[in-house]
Amino acid sequence: MHRTIKIWRKYCLFVSMICCIGVFTACGKQNSGNQSTSSSKEQKQEAIIALSNVSEPENGFDPILGWGMDASPLIQSTLVTYDDQMKLENDLATDYQMSSDHLTWTFTLRDDAFFSDGKPVTSEDVVFTFEQAKKSQAAVDLQMVDSAHEISKNQVEVRLKKPQITFLNTIATMGIVPKHAYDKKYGEHPIGSGAYELVQWNKGEQVILKANPHYYGEKPSLSKVTLVFMDEDASYAAAKSGQVDVALVAATQAQKKISGMHLEDVKTQDNRGITLPVTPNRGEVNEDGYPVGNNVTADPAIRQALVYGLDREEMAKNTVNGFAVPAYSEDDGMPWSNPEVKVQTNLKHARKVLDNAGWQKNKNGILEKNGEKASFMLYYLSGDSVRQAIAMDASAQAKRLGIEIKVTGSNWDEISKKMFSNAVLMGWGSSNPYTSYLLFHGSNKLKADYYNPEGFDNPTVNNYLDQALAAGSQAEANEYFKKAQWDGQTGTSMLKEAPWIWLVNIDHLYYVKDGLDIGKQSLHPHGSSWPLLQNLDEWCWK
Amino acid sequence: MLKKSIRFLSLLFGATLIAFLLVSFAPIAPVQQYVASHGVVSSEQRKEIAAYFGLNQGLFTRYMHWLFGIFHGDFGESFIYRMPVLQVIGERVGNSFLLMFSSWMLSGCLGYTLGIYMGMHQDRWIDRWLKKMCLFLSSLPTYWLGLLLLMLFAVRLQWFPVGFSSPIGLENHNVTFEQKIYHLILPMLTLVLVSFSSLALYVRQKVITIMHSEYMIFAQAQGMTTWQLFVHHVLKNSLSAALMVQFTSFAELFGGSVLAENVFSYPGLGAAITAAGIKGDVPLLLGITFFSIIFVFFGNLLADILQEKIDHRLKNGRRRQCGNPSINS
Repeated sequence: MHRTIKIWRKYCLFVSMICCIGVFTACGKQNSGNQSTSSSKEQKQEAIIALSNVSEPENGFDPILGWGMDASPLIQSTLVTYDDQMKLENDLATDYQMSSDHLTWTFTLRDDAFFSDGKPVTSEDVVFTFEQAKKSQAAVDLQMVDSAHEISKNQVEVRLKKPQITFLNTIATMGIVPKHAYDKKYGEHPIGSGAYELVQWNKGEQVILKANPHYYGEKPSLSKVTLVFMDEDASYAAAKSGQVDVALVAATQAQKKISGMHLEDVKTQDNRGITLPVTPNRGEVNEDGYPVGNNVTADPAIRQALVYGLDREEMAKNTVNGFAVPAYSEDDGMPWSNPEVKVQTNLKHARKVLDNAGWQKNKNGILEKNGEKASFMLYYLSGDSVRQAIAMDASAQAKRLGIEIKVTGSNWDEISKKMFSNAVLMGWGSSNPYTSYLLFHGSNKLKADYYNPEGFDNPTVNNYLDQALAAGSQAEANEYFKKAQWDGQTGTSMLKEAPWIWLVNIDHLYYVKDGLDIGKQSLHPHGSSWPLLQNLDEWCWK
Repeated sequence: MLKKSIRFLSLLFGATLIAFLLVSFAPIAPVQQYVASHGVVSSEQRKEIAAYFGLNQGLFTRYMHWLFGIFHGDFGESFIYRMPVLQVIGERVGNSFLLMFSSWMLSGCLGYTLGIYMGMHQDRWIDRWLKKMCLFLSSLPTYWLGLLLLMLFAVRLQWFPVGFSSPIGLENHNVTFEQKIYHLILPMLTLVLVSFSSLALYVRQKVITIMHSEYMIFAQAQGMTTWQLFVHHVLKNSLSAALMVQFTSFAELFGGSVLAENVFSYPGLGAAITAAGIKGDVPLLLGITFFSIIFVFFGNLLADILQEKIDHRLKNGRRRQCGNPSINS
């Protein structure tokens, strides 16, 4: 009797649980149906975009503290800006002139530009912005600027310490702030002359933007845009439940489908590559006392073998579900990138190079030469699953050549000590060709800034890079930057010197609600959040 | 009292020193973390940023500088937010406090009620079930439970929002109190579910002890109903003990709220302390550590006071040579 009661109780419990689940799911379906129909009606001019939670600017929307430097400041406007081909065009400036010594730049401002509070943008504001940014000790690098002066109400003169054409690229992402409304709290209540104005910022949550009625450019189709900051899991959850119109998704997760949304696959120059120390280990140290050089990677044959022996297409498939394309330089597809630097995977050639250089396989299948094993450490930033996958795949592919790559996950602090004597998996991708200068100019080698830890220093390349910076026009500079990569004889590219083995450019992926057009995206730089919004004023609902 | 104050001050000093040393020796490259997402930054500019962070000074100087500031009420400026630390904390503490307070209250009520119920129905099937459930819940990781609730109630059923403290895209002045509460429910539920069970189990044990005591058997023999037993004996004898346990749980509460806030993108101190830790923002991390120590110490102090009160009562009871302390009090 007692036993039957017990069983009966369990049965009841089970049935009630099933009923509950049934009711829950039914409600859920109803809810989602209602939500999607109501939102699509209301949101014709509105959009909600989920960005990565680490991309929220802690310093606020203050260009002087670095806001917008990775893409576009949105709220503020810039003197010059990029078009979708990454060429510079005028924005706040209607014209600019460079003096014959390439040291003085004169900008003429447009007269129809107003801040969102209705006050005009004057040369005073531009000078103020330069002065503040120079002394801010933040992520805006105006080291090349000597001083800025007002010539007239709409003309500004900027003097440089030495000629540097990439000064224009730097200011192409530096928003102009109003002198009359700038204080310590500006980042929280920014006033600018950009396409959008900030309505509200709930820190750690969301930013509400609306179209700036005083904007001099074409009125954006989306009159209200809400940006929400979420980690990957939360962002996926928000997309799946229909609460956001755009959500970032990692390449490793993008095979999941979300109904009512499609996957936008934006091509990038967000590259990953391996730096290889180019000098042998002679017991030397750099200025901070860290060991320099590596006997294995210093052998050009090893670097060349890796250039031709690693199959980049295969790597893209193995590591990021094919959401990547082979990378051949630090800035593939940019106007200052040399298209000749492409290489074809050729295992035979790779083996021949190693053979000619005297590397022979030992009984374990690893190459040896004069008692030295073809083996080196490769560091990557642990916690970054994509970097880990790429490092592991490079190691597996190198094994086919008889080169042993020992993969080690670590942190920036440890890498900053080991990077001068070991291989490191790193990534760049910038809209500013000054990056190439920092990456490869001999004067910047072996510094703590992660640009040139391999110790690359080539007089011919240095010369081209110097000439590029000193050039009188963007077009002229681009030619020198291209020559620095490959001039037919030498260069920074993988064709000969190969201080870097470039591997893949990783696509930026977004779930986008069907019907939302995100415009023509330019080749994205490193970082997938803000570059997406560079052309926010072109977005519209179809 | 003096002893307690000294203990408190030495705790503050020791804990902030340890936090400082931990974050200073942690393998973080603060400048790299800071510039990582910004365009092109040369080594000259990086040196300026390092100077701003105070990284060019010695460890001792930096800590003494911080300590000296504290005596003047100056907690320094956060590196990453470039705002006074007190302001960063001030902006976020409200949400965290609301979350912690509401889940503390709820888990207290729920844990206590369940504990009483279980204790008074010791070894019946419902007690055995609830006990198993409590053991199960108390061993769940907060983060995992949070994600589970998020996937079930926010994504699958869509009863609750996926995160934040107010509706997406709504301006502050249009946000109602009900909406705030609505957004609070899931993170609060997460905290309640992982925290109430230890209290329930504790109270259950306490009630069982009371139920088996001589005065209880005496009262039962006198023919008191279950309700009378509960009101006159169980409630009085278990409430202060339960409160004591609940006050000592402030540390877990704080730790749990950091995790829950991260899962539900809830804008409280959790996100700030995570950012401070990852990016090596020493002043902010020390500031939050400082106040969390005060918070936890305050909880323990209240528990101590309660404990003393109970002890006091027990002593009185013994002095009067009576088996039932609650009747005397």
